[in-house]
Amino acid sequence: MARMWHRALLTLAALAPLAAGAQDRFTLDGDVDLRWVHAAGETSFLNGGLGLLRFDPDHDGVELGRAFLAPNWRVTDIVSVHAVLDTYGDHNRNPADVSECYMDLRPFPTGAIRWRARAGAFFMPVSMENRGIGWTDVYSITPSTINTWIGEEFRTLGAEVEARWLGASSGYLGDVSLVAAAYGWNDPAGVLIWLRGWGLTDRPSTLFGTLGSPPIDFYHEIDHRPGFYGGLTWRHHDRLEVRLLRYDNNADPAAQNAAGHDAWRTRFTSLGARIEPGAHWTFIAQYLDGDTAAGANYEDEQQIYLRFRSAFALASFEWGQERLTARFDDFHTHQISGILGPRSQDGHAWTLSWSREFADHWQLATEWLRVASTFPPRIFLGESPQQVETQFQIALRYRFNFGW
Amino acid sequence: MTRHVKWTRPLDLGGTSRSRTGFALVRCASATCITFALLAAVLPSAAAEISVTVVDRDGRGIEDAVVTASPAAGKAVSAAKPAVMDQRDRAFVPRVLVVSVGSRVEFPNNDSVSHQVYSFSPAKRFQLALYKGETHPPVTFDQPGLVVLGCNIHDSMVGYIYVTPAPYFGTTEASGTLKLKDLPKDDYQIVVWSPYIADPPASLSRSARVEADGAASERIQLTQPLRARPEPRPRRRDWDY
Repeated sequence: MARMWHRALLTLAALAPLAAGAQDRFTLDGDVDLRWVHAAGETSFLNGGLGLLRFDPDHDGVELGRAFLAPNWRVTDIVSVHAVLDTYGDHNRNPADVSECYMDLRPFPTGAIRWRARAGAFFMPVSMENRGIGWTDVYSITPSTINTWIGEEFRTLGAEVEARWLGASSGYLGDVSLVAAAYGWNDPAGVLIWLRGWGLTDRPSTLFGTLGSPPIDFYHEIDHRPGFYGGLTWRHHDRLEVRLLRYDNNADPAAQNAAGHDAWRTRFTSLGARIEPGAHWTFIAQYLDGDTAAGANYEDEQQIYLRFRSAFALASFEWGQERLTARFDDFHTHQISGILGPRSQDGHAWTLSWSREFADHWQLATEWLRVASTFPPRIFLGESPQQVETQFQIALRYRFNFGW
Repeated sequence: MTRHVKWTRPLDLGGTSRSRTGFALVRCASATCITFALLAAVLPSAAAEISVTVVDRDGRGIEDAVVTASPAAGKAVSAAKPAVMDQRDRAFVPRVLVVSVGSRVEFPNNDSVSHQVYSFSPAKRFQLALYKGETHPPVTFDQPGLVVLGCNIHDSMVGYIYVTPAPYFGTTEASGTLKLKDLPKDDYQIVVWSPYIADPPASLSRSARVEADGAASERIQLTQPLRARPEPRPRRRDWDY
């Protein structure tokens, strides 16, 4: 039996190079990201505190940043299946978990409109920073407050349709695309921005796992009502991209499931722009404004209603194999009504990041992040509501790609 | 880095000679003229050329602008060898290719990722299924017109094949100049095109007279600002988020 396996493996190994480079019907991308971290400030919310960063003084030194596998299978010329399998080595109840898994249908265009449909679990088209495979931020290690939150609480578990007008065919050097989606299992989205406020981590949630301590799991269908989003993307001359998205999970704020999970009615509008004026510079700005409500079944004074907004501006300079990025984040939440005392949050953050590619597989990235914030619930932990946290990281990333 | 041919002359000289001789026959009725015309067709005549320079509003040369020259008589002769539209670093190389009607074009993919090339332009509709390397046979472009190329996986990839009935054509160098050489004496219609030029087509056309061994030159200055050219960056591991 062992001999048979051995023979089968040898045969596979012999076939792989023959097929490699032929068409890449099946590709496998992967990353292993090791960190050395020095953190100062409050205990991270991931470790039971109310700190906004991923690491803290009790959880720094050598850490696993992330390891992922991203298989992609082009089933036919117009149908592909994509998945991302993640491990972060933290408190997640699943040591390895799925972050995305969807089918992508993309017929060849026969006119200036190109249709595309996706079904499964995937990120909504909102981030201006997370452009790398596995939804990695290509400008810094840690994404902005806005895109940290998008990664934490949102995944489209449903279907999305996109109509893209391909301008080049009409002599216009750009595209315009309209997107609409319907989804379920996003009813708890909103609980984290109420519980912690905005955060700055490169630790998105996974589909079946948990985030933080005490653990939160995000993907439940509580009220059996679908949510929606609609968006517009405009790409102009390959130099400017503007993204507008309106999200409404359409949850019933009075709904609660048997396990005690509340449905959070969360709505927001995001507007972002990325400008690449030449071969080196990138400028990004994004603004997100919205609200969330829960506990409509509670007594009047306990019903939760929270407004939130955040904005960031980023400048990045790329030359050769190196990239330098600076970003400023500004963020606020305002609790109009609710439980557990005042919970409005105000803060700002500075991020400086430098990265360098080595050969085809290695990347070295460093990042310094400083966040100053005010959040009254810290009083319950015996801390001052005002906190300044800093985090310095060096990431060594090994990336690989196979194709058959 | 492969550099595409800057200017092209019909390689099938037999066909060209026939059309030139035919043109001469119409204009010269006497036997002397016929003899002269035949001699002109057989013997190498002194080289005549047209130099076309395309500059922007500030007088700076525009690279990679298509220039075609159509004589009052004569037509395109398709090249014997296929032209090449390569794919590298998630871009078509060259971004603009000019070929004569009836030409074949190869689409090798020398990129690190697979592409799916398509066009739905009226001048040529085609699709090349997912591939890398040199999987597909050359595509024949048998209608004049602009063929806009795209990749169904990478929406930012855009390329252009300008299929012309003109027998003389090329693309300008960095200085904005293209010299079309060995042109027979005739009246020529010069047309300039580029995806980055915003001026109306009517202002990009000129008439030029080429004498037997003379040299004509045309300078076309644009009045509209240029459209931004894409500046490809190393998108190492982009995904469509």
